[in-house]
Amino acid sequence: MSSGRIEAAHEEVVPGQASAGNWIFRLGSAFFVVVAALQLCGALGLISISFGNWRPTLFAFLLWGVALGVSQVLKYGDFGKQTLFVLPALLFTGAMVIFPTIFGFYIAFTDWNLNAQSGHHFNGLDNLRTLWADSYFWNALRNMVFYVATVLVQYAIAFGLALLLNTDIRARKFFRVAFLLPFMLSPVAVSWMIGKSLMENRFGPLANFARWLGWENPAFFTDPWIARTTIIAMDAWVWIPFMVILLLAGLQALPLDVKEAAKVDGASQWQTFWEITFPLMLPVSVTAIILRTIFELKLADIVINVTAGGPGGATDTISSFVYREYRDRSNVGYATMIAEVYLVLIIIFITLLLKVATRYVQKMT
Amino acid sequence: MRVHVYELLMAMQKSRRDFLKGTAGAAATLAASSSILSSTPSFAEDSIVSQIMKIPGAGNGSPTDADWQKVGALCLGPTKANVQPGEFNGVEFSFMGLNNQNLHNFLFRGFLTPWEAYTGAKIKWIDLAQADYNARLQQSIATGTADFDIIEMGAPFEGDMGVKDLLSDMPDWVKTQIDFDDYVDYLKPPVGTWNGKIHRVTIDSDCHTMNIRTDVFSDSDLAKQWADWKDKAGLATWGAPKTWQQLQQVTKFLKGKKVKGKEVFGFLDQPKPWGGFQFYFTGSRATAYAKYPGEKNWLFDENMKPLVNNPAWVRAIQDVVDALPSEPADQINADPGTTAFQQFLPGTGALLEWWGDIGTMARTTDTSTIGDVVDFDILPGSDDVYNFRKGQWEKLASGPNQAPNMAYLGWGIYVMKTVDSDAKRHKAAWSAAAHLGGKDLSMWTAAYPSGFQPYRKSHTNLDLWALAGYDKKYIGSYMKSQSDSYNHPNSAIEPRIPGIFQYYSIAEDELQKTFAGKQTAQQGADNVAAAWDKLTDKLGRENQVKYYRIAMGLT
Repeated sequence: MSSGRIEAAHEEVVPGQASAGNWIFRLGSAFFVVVAALQLCGALGLISISFGNWRPTLFAFLLWGVALGVSQVLKYGDFGKQTLFVLPALLFTGAMVIFPTIFGFYIAFTDWNLNAQSGHHFNGLDNLRTLWADSYFWNALRNMVFYVATVLVQYAIAFGLALLLNTDIRARKFFRVAFLLPFMLSPVAVSWMIGKSLMENRFGPLANFARWLGWENPAFFTDPWIARTTIIAMDAWVWIPFMVILLLAGLQALPLDVKEAAKVDGASQWQTFWEITFPLMLPVSVTAIILRTIFELKLADIVINVTAGGPGGATDTISSFVYREYRDRSNVGYATMIAEVYLVLIIIFITLLLKVATRYVQKMT
Repeated sequence: MRVHVYELLMAMQKSRRDFLKGTAGAAATLAASSSILSSTPSFAEDSIVSQIMKIPGAGNGSPTDADWQKVGALCLGPTKANVQPGEFNGVEFSFMGLNNQNLHNFLFRGFLTPWEAYTGAKIKWIDLAQADYNARLQQSIATGTADFDIIEMGAPFEGDMGVKDLLSDMPDWVKTQIDFDDYVDYLKPPVGTWNGKIHRVTIDSDCHTMNIRTDVFSDSDLAKQWADWKDKAGLATWGAPKTWQQLQQVTKFLKGKKVKGKEVFGFLDQPKPWGGFQFYFTGSRATAYAKYPGEKNWLFDENMKPLVNNPAWVRAIQDVVDALPSEPADQINADPGTTAFQQFLPGTGALLEWWGDIGTMARTTDTSTIGDVVDFDILPGSDDVYNFRKGQWEKLASGPNQAPNMAYLGWGIYVMKTVDSDAKRHKAAWSAAAHLGGKDLSMWTAAYPSGFQPYRKSHTNLDLWALAGYDKKYIGSYMKSQSDSYNHPNSAIEPRIPGIFQYYSIAEDELQKTFAGKQTAQQGADNVAAAWDKLTDKLGRENQVKYYRIAMGLT
């Protein structure tokens, strides 16, 4: 301890240790590169060596990771040991997220179809051109615009519910749990319980209720707009509680003194909400909207189960389209291209959304 | 036979009256089918088949693993004739199959336990859910990582396996052991073969048949109203339609009609995609128009030019578009599962094309309300058939053209070529497959819960079904519709080419748009044809044409 600060004991790095660390890292790297290169050449048919599977490269990567860790400790002593806490997570992320994403881009530029006898080949921009001219893709993207636009409506409903649950109503705890129940249900279960049972045209209780209201022949998935709206209503029913949780947490964290001051100044309930609560809640609201938008962009399960994208593509989503291309048609290259392009579109959209939202929040607060 | 079907059938034995309430139609069809159903040889009282058909026997609940092992042990005779005790000691191989409804692989394990004990071989099991099956299989084939030596597989995938030469050829001794000649004709080569070599030990069969509500077609009020209906399409007196033309009129006629106070509909279409399987149903509507007698081609010609946009197919697609307004309100969103289990069995619709399951389930499932009023027939015919060679419609001198659709062609057991290099493993794997596809054992799987339907001529022996506790009239009616389809000279067989389900899946997307009114039947059919051509090019046209000809037995 010196000057009142606690300092960790430092282990001195012996000069020879650093050199050994460098050599271990170089050897590990060289081994990894050689094994990977040999496998790649074998897979491309450039040499006659065949390993049977890609495990040798995986093991060489793991060995390289160990060599990297050992070299860090030998070279940097205590600081190197601290690095070891982060290194496994970094290597895991690299292997399981970054590498597959990059590899995915490679696959996206191939004509890989699992049923093609000639395997897969680099096909340049063919998949992009196909996508550009693919009416199913554009139709699904248009549907996504509608689905994402409804997030604002979902937010408004969620905000209303959160305000309600934040007041001193009777059985507040019960309602808080009850409102969370849809969020606990699997979307697949929702598809069957609501989409295929409650809304069943002949005997579904919701269909009967609609009949009682005067809708002569209630068909929830026959007209394109009704089908689209019904799908998003089911999805919203599952996910609105998620927004409610976020917004409720935000409301409970609001400083009471500001609201009390407004009350003393004679502000009406609406003025209190619009001038104080809403602006103070903007950061939480933006978080809720962004997260919900990301989830909305991935909408697939309910669509696949209830309408399979129909009628005539009216409810199709990009994810359900990718699912059909990959699972039903083994069209690996093209399905990956759609997924990668969609990923890029999502990144651009969310980035822009964040910028606009941040500016708006700054302006309002 | 499915588990719940079996259990309910067994439960019904307690009330003989329930069975005897069977329809007059069932009795009539049984009588009409007597030539087929009684043509099989009888059996000895103490024969193996008569012994196993009593395991566990009526009223003793669903069979258990102990029963499967007992059946497997009793059916070891043919194995013992070809294999010495302990001959496969030290041999170990893996078996990939399904785990649907705790059937398939679960039964195979039980059947093969005594086989393992006798031969000394050991089996490692790979169980797959149906939903994972296609993706796992295609990935294994494409990446060359097949980690199984024996596989339970549907015939449509034979092309995927065959072109990569992954399948072992069936030895002659297996052909003899399983009594190959006993298969119903349509399951004989080219089905189960690739490039002239037999690869499959069949354990199941498939075909679409028509399920008919007898109460609707015997209703006197409807009969009177039908007399005033203008376009009868040849159906002079009220009754079940025999042609698609009649079926269209009947469906339009029944819109808004009631039977005993309940709203009734005619035919139920399946417009919603179902992972490629919906296309089988559009196919069943088209076969009578598109499958010309003596011509094997009906989806493609011999050069793989799609026929799916010819006038026959367009007419079938248009029929669906025309019929949908007369069907239940949300029919556009009905897949095959919906029409069977949420509509027809609970009492909606008078006519349904489906696999053989419906025939038995109609009388046995809890949700079925039509048990006493259902009858069966092969798919309807057509007054005229399109001759795509001549480019014209023709009326046959023999009457309406019929062409039952053998949709999916059933499950089989296939041995992988990986065992061929080791004579002992090769014999062991084929012996296991032959045991599962044995003649006696197959009668048991047809009658008891297994996931498999009858597929042999000998399965039409109603006395054997009776040993398991079945009512002969009921089973006779069911088997008649199956047999008439299996043995039809103009049955439509699908091409087992690589990627066949990709073709079906693409077609489903375009058909869905057509059924929703976003394009005309011709435009939709043209789009399907264009997409199929594009896919054929992508998969390699030259090879696909070659494989098509092999699959259809055109070479």
